Amino acid sequence: MTISLADHLRTLPDESLAALLQSRPDLVVPVPADVSALALRAQSRVSVTRALDGLDRFTLAILDAARLTRSPDDGTTSTEAVLAMATAGPRPPAPATIRGAVNRLRTLFLLYGPEHELRVADGVDEVTPYPAGLGRPAGELDARAAALCTDPAKLRRTLLAAPPSARAILDRLAAGPPVGSVPPGALQAPPLGAEDSLPPDPTNGGAPTGSPVRWLVDARLLVQVSAGTVELPREVALLLRRDSGPLGPLAASPPPVTAPAREAKAVDSAGTGQTMEVVRHTEALLELLAAEPAPVLRSGGIGVRELRRLSRALALDEPTTALLLEVAYAAGLLGELELGGAATGRYGADQQVLPTGAYEAWRALSLARRWEQLARAWLLMTRQAGLVGQRDDRDRPINALSPEAERAGAPAARRSVLAVLADLEPATAPTEEEVLALLDWRSPRRSRGREATHREVLAEAARLGVTGLGALTSYGRLLLTNLVEAGERGGDDPLGLRADAEDASTAARALDALLPAPVDHFLMQADLTLVVPGPPDPGLAGELEVVAEHESAGGASVHRVTPASVRRALDAGYSADDLHDLFRRRSRTPVPQGLTYLVDDVARRHGGLRVGSVGGYVRSDDEALLAEVLADRRLESLALRRLAPTVLVTPYQVNRMLTALRDAGYAPVPEDASGSVVLARPRTRRAPARPSVTTRALDPLVPPKLALPRLLGVVEQIRRGEAAARAARRAPAVVRGGTAGAGPTPVHGHADALAVLQQAVRDRALVWVGYVDPHGATVSRLVRPVSIGAGYLRAEDDRTEMLHTFALHRITAAVLET
Amino acid sequence: MSGGPLIVQSDKTLLLEIDHPDARACRMAIAPFAELERSPEHVHTYRLTPLGLWNARAAGHDAEGVVDTLIKYSRYPVPHALLVDVAETMDRYGRLQLANDPAHGLVLRALDRVVLVEVAKSKKLAGMLGAKLDDDTIAVHPSERGRLKQALLKLGWPAEDLAGYVDGEAHPIELAEAGKDGGKPWTLRSYQREAVEAFWAGGSGVVVLPCGAGKTLVGAAAMAEAKATTLILVTNTVAGRQWKRELIARTSLTEEEIGEYSGERKEIRPVTIATYQVLTSRRKGAFTHLDLFGARDWGLVVYDEVHLLPAPIFRFTADLQARRRLGLTATLVREDGREGDVFSLIGPKRYDAPWKDIESQGWIAPAECTEVRVTLTDAERMSYATAEAEERYRMAATARTKLPVVRALVDRHPDDQVLVIGGYIDQLHQLGEYLDAPIVQGSTTNKERERLFDAFRSGEVRTLVISKVGNFSIDLPEAAVAIQVSGTFGSRQEEAQRLGRVLRPKADGRQAHFYTVVSRDTIDTEYAAHRQRFLAEQGYAYTIVDADDVLGPKLPTVD
Repeated sequence: MTISLADHLRTLPDESLAALLQSRPDLVVPVPADVSALALRAQSRVSVTRALDGLDRFTLAILDAARLTRSPDDGTTSTEAVLAMATAGPRPPAPATIRGAVNRLRTLFLLYGPEHELRVADGVDEVTPYPAGLGRPAGELDARAAALCTDPAKLRRTLLAAPPSARAILDRLAAGPPVGSVPPGALQAPPLGAEDSLPPDPTNGGAPTGSPVRWLVDARLLVQVSAGTVELPREVALLLRRDSGPLGPLAASPPPVTAPAREAKAVDSAGTGQTMEVVRHTEALLELLAAEPAPVLRSGGIGVRELRRLSRALALDEPTTALLLEVAYAAGLLGELELGGAATGRYGADQQVLPTGAYEAWRALSLARRWEQLARAWLLMTRQAGLVGQRDDRDRPINALSPEAERAGAPAARRSVLAVLADLEPATAPTEEEVLALLDWRSPRRSRGREATHREVLAEAARLGVTGLGALTSYGRLLLTNLVEAGERGGDDPLGLRADAEDASTAARALDALLPAPVDHFLMQADLTLVVPGPPDPGLAGELEVVAEHESAGGASVHRVTPASVRRALDAGYSADDLHDLFRRRSRTPVPQGLTYLVDDVARRHGGLRVGSVGGYVRSDDEALLAEVLADRRLESLALRRLAPTVLVTPYQVNRMLTALRDAGYAPVPEDASGSVVLARPRTRRAPARPSVTTRALDPLVPPKLALPRLLGVVEQIRRGEAAARAARRAPAVVRGGTAGAGPTPVHGHADALAVLQQAVRDRALVWVGYVDPHGATVSRLVRPVSIGAGYLRAEDDRTEMLHTFALHRITAAVLET
Repeated sequence: MSGGPLIVQSDKTLLLEIDHPDARACRMAIAPFAELERSPEHVHTYRLTPLGLWNARAAGHDAEGVVDTLIKYSRYPVPHALLVDVAETMDRYGRLQLANDPAHGLVLRALDRVVLVEVAKSKKLAGMLGAKLDDDTIAVHPSERGRLKQALLKLGWPAEDLAGYVDGEAHPIELAEAGKDGGKPWTLRSYQREAVEAFWAGGSGVVVLPCGAGKTLVGAAAMAEAKATTLILVTNTVAGRQWKRELIARTSLTEEEIGEYSGERKEIRPVTIATYQVLTSRRKGAFTHLDLFGARDWGLVVYDEVHLLPAPIFRFTADLQARRRLGLTATLVREDGREGDVFSLIGPKRYDAPWKDIESQGWIAPAECTEVRVTLTDAERMSYATAEAEERYRMAATARTKLPVVRALVDRHPDDQVLVIGGYIDQLHQLGEYLDAPIVQGSTTNKERERLFDAFRSGEVRTLVISKVGNFSIDLPEAAVAIQVSGTFGSRQEEAQRLGRVLRPKADGRQAHFYTVVSRDTIDTEYAAHRQRFLAEQGYAYTIVDADDVLGPKLPTVD
């Protein structure tokens, strides 16, 4: 009697069930109603796929072994049978590892039941139809093939007789998958008599073989399962695999890494250098976007041209710029701003990308924590920055920040690649190929076809300083651990209250220790450069931003003091003494004489010109008079100020000043902007101009003279009015229909109407036609019928000179115009 | 963190803190691959350029070594991306080689087939490459050797030139270190010896030495090494005579063996000195004196003042790739930015020493640079303020107010030979009258020039007013004071050359003085700032004083 998975699960204690749910968490979404529902779901295609995806290559091979050793009668197998099969190859793995793999499969309930009666969960066969890359037994495929397979000696002979090209096909199918598609026609026999015209086959010594697939099918080594598809029977494949064992080559342990280990210090150093770069470049990028926000394209994201502008300004390549953009966006440092209708940008876009408020907070953090935020955002973002610049399925370029670069699987890919690096010895720098091989072993089902993505992850990790010299850095490792811990804590802390704890994480602390300490001084040189030998502390950075031009950045920074920068500092409120003091205080080396001189020189000229605005001025060549005006208490309200011995200014308007001065008994004369005297006359008020009556016709008794063209125009106008009036005459009551009871019945009316119309066509007479329009209303029209035929009446409307077509069945009445 | 003296910047500059105990060792370690850009007093700036890295590669340094050096001396972590970039750039040199094939003559050989394919497809090389001999080799027309190297450099795949040199017509030349005709015995200075050795080992290239450091002797020693007929290209006739005098005094060559090829004389002898001017003179659009290059089988071509090499000479040089070429200069900085052509056509830099280092070794007179700022009179300010833009510099530079200041400066050094250098003839005449000193200008005949220079040298004339003709290559050993009153706008080279006038070693090791008189608050000050920048970057700090301090009562001397 067979035991179903449900029966088996029922017999288990709670802990085992909990362990199952723990290892396959997708089973509890939603929570199954009972054990049979749980069993059903555990064997569903989706759930089994998930479970298999997480398994390494070896465990999958052991599962295949279990499937292959199932007895055909009751579908059970045993650990012993699995062991026997797995160790049948030339380099058998240790039985303990095999048992370990079996136990792993049993905890996942992909295998269940007691050791001597193991069963394979149902969904497995659906997910991977060919265990270990082997086809179905010949018995299930084809009777004649089965017959061949039951005779081992004959089978061997047939195999040996296969021409080389056919043998190559066999070998390929034997390695799995066992199914191949063949081009149409390959299985057809060559036309009779045309056998000799077959192309020569170089793999067969030049002699034509015809299609090798056809040969194989004819020899029953392959079975055609459908049109265009052939399958290799399991027995044949096993025979071909006699050198490598029935399961093919088995790797019980991951492929070894042969790349040399780096010095841990060098790895950290290279990575740290890179982190400084990344943070600096990100900051520069955000500053650029703050100065000139990037317009958002209608299709989403920012355009190629904009990306090129940013990369040029940053002196970076475009992929790196795109990566930094994506990371900054994911970290919440960049955001879109809706533009009002009036303020559309250069490209007419109505959205712009620019730094968010979080940028300010980020900038205030230490370098290590700034990097940590970026790196975290990178690890978790569902974006694949490497796609930017490539083309999508429709051959359109994928833009940075556009929806096309969204990939839900991106964080998982990053985690799996970094996990590979993290599981190696510290400071081991495997080559790209080795990392890919390791990934392929660890989760072959998940890694297949994603090699390009994984390469990108490695490149990005190096670019962001998570790795250095190809190895995971110590703080990068901590970053991963932090993330895993945060994930684990997530269960206890569902609201994420502790996630943003104020204290720096261990990763940030580790990085902090590696980063150079901020310095608060610089070295001054005679060529007026300031060298800050390390990252400047915020105070120093703020001062330098004002007093010097930035020249070179990196571990240290070089700034140059120029007349323009000194002027800027003076504008910002520094005095010359402040500047001297600042240079003396901050410089570790004597301040060069040239700089002192420069500061004094610029300060001397600074403010040599003064700019302001006034409402009006009073000037006079008579200084004494101006002094009198200034001292006049009656003019206090004007708030006069002496600009020069001969000029006073006031914030008030000229008219007010004039009045006040005149009231006080002075005799001011106003002047205009060019200095000429403005003479003011009293203005008299006037109403708007009107036309005079005298411009009209001279003699009202003489009739106005009309020109001939005008007269003709008038006549034509009258005629047109006449025609319109005639047309507007009311149509006879019959035609108007509906209302008059005196008229003939509709049937009669219709027949009469036709007669009238036919007559009218002959006479070319005007007829009132009543008809039902598409809306069901009765309408009448005065027309001149032209023809009747095919169920339609064609008639001219004299008024509009248009040809109308009426469906005859809609015409209700017709009356000759009288 | 190693706390080393070096800071690696992400823009590929290297900052070397020279007060650090390891600074000297670090300087030695990075010198082969990084180019010294600025050497002010505290922090020297080096730059990693593709040219520099390829130079290092040519000298046998590998990328691993460069990366190790950077990491070893760097104070802070070096960004991973920069290290990768260095390694990739260095890897580009020598993938292609120019070599002599016994059967096919000059060939371009690839160590990396892909590069050859990429390069062969380039349109820029069309016509330079001949038939494909095999997958890795392409024949090259020997006449295209120079142009091919130029083009490959532009493509970023510089070729290693292993095709060798012709020996040229042999001619015995020895250094007369024992002293000649009763002269005192002398020896090559150590850095001169190193420079010659570096040049000879490389075959062709440029030696960078400051003015007054004895570049002529480096040339003479290279000739003694080559022992072959030599063509020397100089900037002008006076410089040519200078070379001739020096060669006669310091080598076994006699007057008869040295020819002058200039506007005045056209002699072709085993050692011929030609001026750039005569070579680039044209008649009806054709260069008339090109035959000189083929006149003899030259074994060595010496280019004096490479940074001034006119563009046509580059073109002739492209055809001279089989001859050994020695470039001599005080600076590789070219105002026209053709440093790459110097690299590919004359050769990589073979030797370079920072000025200050040589000065501290005592070979160059220490110089004190002073900028004197003159306040214009109100009338001068007014006419300056209303002048046309193109007249402004002339007005500011030739202000009469400068005259008393110049006299005061001359009077400050009653015992020294003083040169007054200016750019405007009118002003020079004013100065000449005012100071009662002779003038050397463009229209002065060579004979008169020589006479005045001799008089100046002998001390007969104490003050000499010279125009732009004195910018280059005249040797006035006893000029201890130079006063610059006007210059050619902001040329950095000119400033360096003029300072060179006073940097030649003095008999008694006196202090040299270099004064620049500029008009305050005018465009003159801005140009002066630009010119000085080069010297400040070489570590010469300028003191700026007001004219009133100069004109005031005589200050107690500090000698």
